[in-house]
Formats: sequence, C-alpha cells, structure tokens
Amino acid sequence: MAYQRKRNKGESPKLDMTPMIDVVFQLLIFFVVTLKQEDILSKLSAARPAPSQDEKIKENPPDLLTIIVAPQGFLLNGRPMRKEELDRRIGEYAAISTTPMVVIKCTADSPHAFLVQALDICNKNKMTNLSIFSM
Amino acid sequence: MTPMIDVVFQLIIFFVVTLKMTTDVNPDIVLEDGKNGVTLTQDNMPPTTLEIELDKNGNVSIHNARLSKAQLRAILVNRVRRHGTDFPVLIRGDRRTQHEKVKSIMDICTGPGVGIWKLSFVAIQEHKAKKDQ
Repeated sequence: MAYQRKRNKGESPKLDMTPMIDVVFQLLIFFVVTLKQEDILSKLSAARPAPSQDEKIKENPPDLLTIIVAPQGFLLNGRPMRKEELDRRIGEYAAISTTPMVVIKCTADSPHAFLVQALDICNKNKMTNLSIFSM
Repeated sequence: MTPMIDVVFQLIIFFVVTLKMTTDVNPDIVLEDGKNGVTLTQDNMPPTTLEIELDKNGNVSIHNARLSKAQLRAILVNRVRRHGTDFPVLIRGDRRTQHEKVKSIMDICTGPGVGIWKLSFVAIQEHKAKKDQ
C-alpha cells in the first residue's frame, strides 16, 4: 500500500473571525450600557464651637451673623426668609464686613439639606468663619 | 478588519479597567447641591480621611457597612489614638435626614476621647450621574 503524503498546495488555513467579533461586540455593548459617570462632589466645612469658645460667642461681637435653620426655611438675625433672600442678604453683609463670624443654628427637625444650603451660601460669599450650633 | 478589531479591543480594555462592580458608598444617600464648596479630589482627601455616611433614616455607615453609634465612636477613638485629631472627617448626610440625626454624629465627633471640632459635609458640586428617579 503506497503511502501518499498530503501536500499543502499553497493555501493557508483560514480562521473564522465572526464568532470572536460577535462576542467582542457583546462585551462592548455591555460595558457601554453599564458605564456610570459619577457626580463631582464638594465639601463644605464648618466647626462646632469648642467649649472654650462659648464665652466669646456670648459676648456677641459686632460681626456676628446668626442664621437659624428651621423646617420652614431660614431666619437671618431673627427675620424669616427664603434661600434666595438669604443669599442676597449675606452677599450684602459680606461686602461690608471683612471677617464676619457666622453662627448657623439648626433646629432638631430641620432637614439636613437646609444646613448644606446655608453653608453653601456662606462659602459662595467667602465667609469661612462658620460655626454650627444644634438647638 | 484588523484595525477595527484593534480599536474594539482597546475600548474593551478601557471599560474593563474603569468598571466598578461594587459601590463603596451607600447608594441610597441623596446629597444636596453645594456648588460653592471645595471640590473633593484625591489631592485634598488624604488616606486618613474618614467619611461617615448617614442615610435618611439616620442609619450610620462607613464604606456602606452599617455601624451602631457605639461602633462609630470606637472607630473614631482608635483613629484619634493613631493619627491625632488632624484627620479630615466628612459627613455624607442624606439631604432628607433631620438635623437631630446629624447632631448625633457631630456629638460623637466632638465627644470625649475624640475631640474633632472641624467637620465637613459632602455635597454635589456638579451632577454627572444619571438620576434613577
């Protein structure tokens, strides 16, 4: 029986790419769909008055500004107002005062959002000496 | 076909590298907007930063792991022993939570054995994520 060797007649073997491309596209679509961009976050800093500072605050220095954060909104030096008016008033105050101290007093049932809004307004108007009191 | 396959593989590698399968913060917390705060970046958040999460019901967690107030206090006391009181404390509070819940966290931070008086609140400077609601 004669052994006949198979001869390669110059044709290179072809690899079928279609299934791989299908899988790769499936993966690509999955990653595009599940991609989630994250919010850019900021921090609003404030201090709680240390016990040694209490006496200083009780003296009520002239540059002391008091914001009360209540469930209904804000009170600036005892006057109720909305966020927009608070922003305007603090802006006016910041223009005439160099280093004002802002005391933010929060009632127990006020939403945390209002405290963040008050801190944001103070930051906007370059007020950095902020204290938080809890009522 | 080769250039297209190259590009597609590059894209796949990009997505695999940037994919985050698990979240290390409580996803239920809705933050308030705070456009004028200091942007939180890796540069101003040293590794010692402690981020305390507070959801709308007043539940406390760190890296999405629920803690009791006593556990939070123990963590803070240990951290103060190791690093002093200089490490930044961020409070990631839900905008809907009442201030008394935030106060309880602040009380722990300023309480005996801890003594951190400067606190920061996390807010959203710029919305990028799609809202689920």
